This record gives sequence, C-alpha cells and structure tokens, in this order.
Amino acid sequence: MEVIHVPRPSKKAMDPDRPANALLLAQISHLQHVERRLPLRYRSEIYTHAIKTEGEAASYIREVTEAIHQAHADAAKQRAKRTPKRGLEIAAAAERPKRSSKKKTKTTKRRKK
Amino acid sequence: MSTGLDQLKHIVVLMMENRSFDHMLGSLKAIDSRIDGVTDQLSNPDTTGASVKPQPLAEFQGQLNPDPDHHFPAVDLQIFGGDASPTRAPNMQGFVKSYFNQRRDVEHSQKIMYYFKQSDLPVLAKLALEFAVFNRWFASIPGPTICNRAFAHYGTSFGRVDMNPFDVIEPFKSIYTRLIKATPKHTAKIYYYDTTSSTMEVVNLLQNQPELFGTYDQFKKDCDQAILPEYSFVEPNYNDHTGDSGEEVANDQHPDHDVLAGEFLIAEVYMHIRRNPKLWPNTAMLVVYDEHGGIYDHVPPPACKPDKFHSSEADPGTKQPFKFDRLGVRVPAILISPWIPKNTVVDRVFDHASIPATVAKFFLEDDPNRSPREINADVFIEPNVQPVDANRNLLSLANMRDDCPKFDI
Repeated sequence: MEVIHVPRPSKKAMDPDRPANALLLAQISHLQHVERRLPLRYRSEIYTHAIKTEGEAASYIREVTEAIHQAHADAAKQRAKRTPKRGLEIAAAAERPKRSSKKKTKTTKRRKK
Repeated sequence: MSTGLDQLKHIVVLMMENRSFDHMLGSLKAIDSRIDGVTDQLSNPDTTGASVKPQPLAEFQGQLNPDPDHHFPAVDLQIFGGDASPTRAPNMQGFVKSYFNQRRDVEHSQKIMYYFKQSDLPVLAKLALEFAVFNRWFASIPGPTICNRAFAHYGTSFGRVDMNPFDVIEPFKSIYTRLIKATPKHTAKIYYYDTTSSTMEVVNLLQNQPELFGTYDQFKKDCDQAILPEYSFVEPNYNDHTGDSGEEVANDQHPDHDVLAGEFLIAEVYMHIRRNPKLWPNTAMLVVYDEHGGIYDHVPPPACKPDKFHSSEADPGTKQPFKFDRLGVRVPAILISPWIPKNTVVDRVFDHASIPATVAKFFLEDDPNRSPREINADVFIEPNVQPVDANRNLLSLANMRDDCPKFDI
C-alpha cells in the first residue's frame, strides 16, 4: 500500500512575535476571569493588558493553566490528608465499643461483688 | 447483518479552526461531482461591483492577513450580502465586501474567495475521498469560535453569539459530565495540545473539572496503549510557542497559522488510531472545523429549530435578537472508520450540536436533559439499537477495509 507523504510546515511558519489573534485574546480574557477566583498564591504576575504577541499570550496561558491544575491538585492533597484521619477516627470508634463493653462487664462484676 | 457499528467503542473528535468547506475541500468537486464544492458559476461582487470568482490560489500562510472578520455582524454581511430587510434570504454574496471592510484594499479583499488545490492538502483531501465527507455540515452559529465550540461541548451556547465567557445553565450539562456521571459510568476526555496552548473551554470545564483534561502527548500514548476513553475531544495547538520538546508551531489552521501544520496534526491523530490494531477497528474519528473564519463558502446556511436560549438585541450587533433558528456557514467535516465505504458523500444536514447528540445517543440510553438544538440535531453515528436504519448507518460495511490510506508520520 502506498504511503502518502505529508509535507512538514516550513521553519518560517514559527513566529511567536506574530500579533495574538482575537481567539487568543479571548482565551486570555477567559483565563483572567478564572484567575481572579484563584487564591492569591496561584495568580500570575503577568500584566495581561500588555500582551501583544503569541509568545506573550502563550506564557500567560501556560502559567494560568498550570496554576488551575496546581490549585486543584493542592486541594486534593489537603482532602487526602483529612480523609485518613477521619478514617482512623472511624476505625478507632469502631474499636471502642469492644473495649468499653469489657470494662462494663468488669464494672458490672465489681458491682455484683 | 453485523456491520462496523457493532464494533464501535470509541469516538474521537478533532476540531480545527476557521476554514470553510469550499476553501479546504471545494476543489474535490472536479474529482467527484457529488461533492458540493466550487464551480465556475460561483462569484461574489467586490466593492467596485466587479464579479470575483473563487480561484485555487490559497496559500498556507501569509495570505489572509488580517484575520478575516467572523464575528456575528460580519458573518451576517457575508451570508446576506448586506440585505437587512425582514424578508431577506441568504445569498452568500457578502464575503468580499466584508473582507474589504478590514483593509480597504479591493485587490486584497478578493483573496477571501481563494481555495486550496487538492494537491495542496494531501491529508484532508485524501481522507475526504477515502471515507465519508459531509456536504452539509454547518457551524452552529453564524459567529465566532467560542460560541460554536460550546455547541460541540453542550449542544447549546446558552444564548451567547460571541467570544465572552458564558455560564452553564442547568439542566444542560457538558457531554463529558453526562458520560462520566452516567450509570453505568462512561469515560470521556478533552485532550488539549499542551498547557501552553490549553483549551478554549476554560471558564466551565477547565476551572471546575480539570481532571477531564489530558495533553496531546497523553492522547498519543493512550492510542498506542489502546486505552482511549469512549469519547475523546482533541484540541489543536492554538499558538506558536516553545514547549518542553522544542518549538511548537500552531497547528489549528486559524489564519494566519500554517495550514500544513494542521495537515500534519490531522495525519498524526489518524495514524495513531490507524496503526494500532486494537483501536482501529473499533474507533470512529471525526475531523471538523469550528467555523468558516470569514472565508467564502457558497452554500446558504439553512434554518433550524430554535434553541431554548435567545440572544439579546444588543449581543449580535445587528440590532436584531438572534433566536438560534438558523445555522452558520458550512465547514469541512469528515468521518473516518475502516467500516465506512470508500468515497461516501453525505447530504444530510449537521451542525456541532450533532456531536453531543451522536455521542449521547450512542453511549447513553436515556438522556432527557438536552437542549432543543441538540434534540433536533441529526446524528452521524447511529445508536446501535436494533433495528439500525441501513440507509443512515455510515459504518455500514460487514467486512473491515484493508485499503485505508497511510501517511508517513
């Protein structure tokens, strides 16, 4: 079977200094909308109004996308830290009645005495 | 009789950016007259009144600069030729006029009529001729990217006709949420190219459900290991940047990004599915463009059942509210599977609401919370519930093809 050749883009195709198109500017505004809801420590220090090129847009897009993932990952870690504690408490609680029932038995015996 | 539909386990959608049907696939009319592409009879007037014909002079990059306007008012001009009367009908006569408005250069405005030769696009043209090409796949809205992509994710844009963030309004949910929350559970993922390109579904999905996302590298690995989710939505690279593995050229084909980079991406996605014998027999891949990007197409968009949501009078910029009761400009769309007869041409009408409509009907038995537009959208893969209508089933072959093309990726 014939294998069809796919031409590769020319090296000139790459131009991070190209002005950011309307789609990228919209994507930035959406990311900015989300960034405002992130805790301060996750926020970018890039001034979005000064973004003019694709390369500049790309830097901001990456920072905020990674920050969103990081914020969720950190929240999940915190959740995980809390969960085992709760699990241990439940396990401990499940154990307690046995011990207390023994004590009660002893106490009862004592009382009987 | 058993057909390819019985084998289907995965649906993959690759949504590219901003090219019209005639611009990308119009040349195929000369090869197969059933494909509704470019003919000598087509034209648009320029601002001097001269008639401008489509010509096979499209270039990969550097030609459509500035980016042709494809916001709602510009698309209105492109479709209706400037007629604002209540009885107007779409005539597709305003593309050159619209492009002139941006640079006030008559000669340059004529480039909006240019289309690619078949030999320019060895991947897209080959796939269109080998599998199923859709003659009537339209953008969901005569407007820009964000609201059109919303239809692919939610079956509605919740009344938006622009690029602004929108809120998801209950009871409608994304197709991903519907799949992963279903009983029994299904699997779905959005693969963006990398974190530097990210997604166009930021405000709702990325913000609230980042676990839905993977990267394009992960998509390729998932293909190689045959662990693709049941539904995958692949986003291209939207910007030129330097990534972890070097220079990454934008491959979304949005003007003025290099069309060849997008050709390579389409071939690469196809070949990652094609070369895995555990994936190729049970996967259908749709290549589709989100909207026409202001570039000429000759087919007037049809009316459709209105959505539940209407835009305000101010939003479309045409001093008239929009009821989501007509479709946007036609875009390229190709369905790929080794169970599709070679050289299939589909004439039924589709739009991006057909994507969640198809995925939901195929994987979910009952899904009552769908937008009116999604409910009324046609499906490109039949639900595999007997009896299957043989006339509508595109994966109709009883034996898998062994002559499907390969690309040197």
